[in-house]
Amino acid sequence: MKKKMEPWLFLLPVLVILLLLFGYPLINSFIMAFQNYKLTAPNDIHFNGLDNFAKLVGDPDGLMILKNSFVYVIVSVLGQFLLGMTLAVALKKQFKGRGIYQSIVFLPWAFSGFVVGLIFRWSFNGEYGVVNNLLEKFGLIDKNIAWLGTPGFSLAVVIIAMIWMGIPFFAIMILAALQSIPTDVYEAADVDGCGTIRQFFQITLPYIKPTLITTVLLRTIWIFNSLDLVVIITDGGPANTSQTLPAYMYSKAFGSYDFGFAAALGVILMVILGIYAMAFLKLTKYDKAGDF
Amino acid sequence: MSRKAKNAIGTTIRVIVLVFFFLLVVLPIYWIVITSFKTSGEILDVNNLTFFPKTFTWQNYTDLFEQFNYGVLLKNSLLVSIASALVVTVFSMLGGYSLARYKFNGKQAVVLFFLITQMIPGILVIIPLYIIFSKMGLINTHIGLFIYYVTVNLPFCVITMRSFFERIPITLEEAARVDGCTKMQSLFKIVFPIMFPGIVSVFVFGFIGAWNELIAGSIFISTPEMWTIPVGLKTLIGKYNVEWGLLMAGGVMALLPTALMFAAMQKFIVEGMTAGAVKE
Amino acid sequence: MKKRILAALMAATMVAGLLAGCGSSSKDSSKDSKKGDGKATLRFIDVSPSPERQKYYENVFAKFEDETGVAVKYESVPWDDAADKLTVLGSSGQLPDVITTHPLWLGQFTEADWVLPIDDYVEKNGDQFVDAVQKINWAQEKERYGHVYSVPDGFMVKGIFYRKDWVKEIGYEIPTGKDWTYDAYFDLIKALTDKDKKRYGNSFRGARGAFDPLLAYLQSFTGGYVYDEEGNFILNTPECVEAVEKWCEIYKDGYVPEDSVNWGFVEMVDNFTGGLTGTISNDSEVAKACEEKMDPETWGVLPMPVSTVDGKMMNTAGSPYSYTIAKSSEYPDEALQLIDFLVRADNNIEYCKMGGLIPIKKDVGDDETYGEDGPYGVFLDELNDPNFTVPPMYGPFNYTDLHQDMFHTELQKYLLGQQSAEDVLNHIGDELTTRMKQYLADNEGSTIETPKTMQ
Repeated sequence: MKKKMEPWLFLLPVLVILLLLFGYPLINSFIMAFQNYKLTAPNDIHFNGLDNFAKLVGDPDGLMILKNSFVYVIVSVLGQFLLGMTLAVALKKQFKGRGIYQSIVFLPWAFSGFVVGLIFRWSFNGEYGVVNNLLEKFGLIDKNIAWLGTPGFSLAVVIIAMIWMGIPFFAIMILAALQSIPTDVYEAADVDGCGTIRQFFQITLPYIKPTLITTVLLRTIWIFNSLDLVVIITDGGPANTSQTLPAYMYSKAFGSYDFGFAAALGVILMVILGIYAMAFLKLTKYDKAGDF
Repeated sequence: MSRKAKNAIGTTIRVIVLVFFFLLVVLPIYWIVITSFKTSGEILDVNNLTFFPKTFTWQNYTDLFEQFNYGVLLKNSLLVSIASALVVTVFSMLGGYSLARYKFNGKQAVVLFFLITQMIPGILVIIPLYIIFSKMGLINTHIGLFIYYVTVNLPFCVITMRSFFERIPITLEEAARVDGCTKMQSLFKIVFPIMFPGIVSVFVFGFIGAWNELIAGSIFISTPEMWTIPVGLKTLIGKYNVEWGLLMAGGVMALLPTALMFAAMQKFIVEGMTAGAVKE
Repeated sequence: MKKRILAALMAATMVAGLLAGCGSSSKDSSKDSKKGDGKATLRFIDVSPSPERQKYYENVFAKFEDETGVAVKYESVPWDDAADKLTVLGSSGQLPDVITTHPLWLGQFTEADWVLPIDDYVEKNGDQFVDAVQKINWAQEKERYGHVYSVPDGFMVKGIFYRKDWVKEIGYEIPTGKDWTYDAYFDLIKALTDKDKKRYGNSFRGARGAFDPLLAYLQSFTGGYVYDEEGNFILNTPECVEAVEKWCEIYKDGYVPEDSVNWGFVEMVDNFTGGLTGTISNDSEVAKACEEKMDPETWGVLPMPVSTVDGKMMNTAGSPYSYTIAKSSEYPDEALQLIDFLVRADNNIEYCKMGGLIPIKKDVGDDETYGEDGPYGVFLDELNDPNFTVPPMYGPFNYTDLHQDMFHTELQKYLLGQQSAEDVLNHIGDELTTRMKQYLADNEGSTIETPKTMQ
């Protein structure tokens, strides 16, 4: 009996905190999603079926916003993952000054999204931004590009900022995993005449797979849910071409005081992420291990 | 191709990659630092972009401390971030251990619940929490903020901690038990020391998560002397203009403590995970 | 060694928990003090804090406590998060006693029943206030919400800030009086543009709030009205469509920076004070930023253009913020007393000078700043102009969601060539008509808001 309780005992503090502070809001928002719940009409709260969801379907920009969200998440995660992995692999072997080097290249992770967002918005300013200035100096463009005023480019700037901030996180996680691979495995492979590239795919990748899966999964969820960069850099503009679902939801919730609608958007977000998480775990066969 | 030539190519590629990332990070930071030493006239001079301040000034920094009480903001931020990171670290060590080492009914449900907490849009959590906190008298206190940061940073840290535990062979622990250690002794004497770097990383995660948080900070705290750094910096964006110089100086000052922490802890984050210690 | 560090970590955790407790000694003190010696402590929230404002308020609150014995606690929230924070506070019944609110938010506050009407105060003390407050601010509030809910913090008028030195340099004659129309304004913008010198004619605004100045231009064709008596949107006539086209032509033809399609307030002002753009149409509040950042010889103010139809000058004048009382306040009387104190002539003058505003009390006397030759001369002239007209905004209903999204998004779609100018007005018009009709149906006896004049 005591043995059975042990794992729960260890988990107790975490579970108590999370159930108390996340449980209620979670249940609450599921209920609100099916209610006419306007802050401006506190005496007129009632269930309204699927009305809140219908509102989203009726939104003319709804599809574009959904598409933006996917582009934003996929490109950001992929970019962070590939660059972070490259950095981690490059850092794996010891070299002189690695310590200082590391504490510098990991710095973007320590910035707040708010500060990064402002810096990018300002640097990509079409008229006096430093980016256009440099591109012109190097002769890459001869006319200023209106980065934040052009559909497509504006979302690209948000994605670049997101990737910039997120590389260190991936690099740290992957590096930590790389360090834990016993060297004798490589030594054995070397003896067997295994090339560097084959070693990478046959030893390194499988070894760090659990870390990769957890990191990619969590990172995707975070990026999908994050809205500070979008709000600060472009505020979804121009014409909603860089708008993403959570940012849209945030402005709708506070703009119209319609928390029923906001909760419905939130539920849709959670469903999308939930499907993604399950599919991801199935595809990577991570669920079989009994871990998730 | 000879082994030597191969190595040379490998080294070259590696150097290029390292230089690339160095510039990628350093150039924007250079821009922030340099801007923080410019006068506001120079910053906004659209016809003349300078890559080094024409007139070098400390004004932005002195303003930050004298007018914006940066010292107080720093103290508040350090307090809340360190306290919440410590608690997160300890709790996630316990939780992570449980998830890594035990097989039990409901484990999947627990992990699933952690995942779901990450999917809830922040705004749907903050409003009900505000109501709860205000009933408990926790609004405009650092305790309220502390509780919130512990909550939001826990799930990720538990999951990360679990993966750190999983990398340590269970045989090590069992060996210690055979030698007569109790479970706690084996944890403290064998397991924790080996995964010290992981523990440090989780602490850093928790710290940064709290250090940079903005929305809860501005919703849960109402008086300027209780603000954290991000909330204070946000007031530099006014209705009509942004105080760029001050903001950049503030960004540099917000980064300094974390940069120092990185410098001090990076060796744990990476070097501690040496292969030797974990050999099966 | 490492073990010891760990043990220390654990111990530190406990200490940290306690520390966090100690550090937050200024716990909700308002609650504790409420049931103390019977004296009230009011909570006050500032939605646009700066060190300067905080100092001002704390000074005034100290004076207030000396005179009345009522203490006031200063709270604040960064401007960018202010609307969100007040929403959270309101929905959890925790609004401070006195709130600085933005005129755009008052609609929701009254709809949600979060604030107290102050009709009695206005009736009793109204004649101490300048005409503009009575005939514009309060008249609007009464018409929109049925009651007066707030006292403005100051008064601001719209004007066109321009680069005096550029105009002199190119030897341009700016028309005045009846000839100072929107077409003349567009001509000025075009004349000031000189891309070789990195000069654009105007700080164009394409992001949030972009439709507001355009609305005033459109209203100049209808005498200020937005709806007919039945609640139909009337700003979609061919003249209005043409006006939208002209308005956007300065963007499409490159007289303003290309990325201004996504500019908000901050970029507009920064680019004008920074020397990229030659004009900016905005509130007198902007004078403050110009005074701080520009050489006084380089800039000046022009009145808003007049209508080609009836010569009226549509000017969405008003107040940056206003003071209002939370319904949940336990001390509504003291709260009102505080508001009255805040707008007392001496305090109000100090405040207005700090914020680039015109004082709202009649007894400001002959303070030089507000004389004919002072920096606010043009704004005061506008206020005295018989053609000065303050048109209504979008309607008495809640349109914040449209303001945050649809209004400027529709305009941006036209600027980017994704739809026609007619589409812009039709889409916005349809939505507004629906809401207006709904409002008229829900509120029996309500009528369409009228433009306000100083007459």
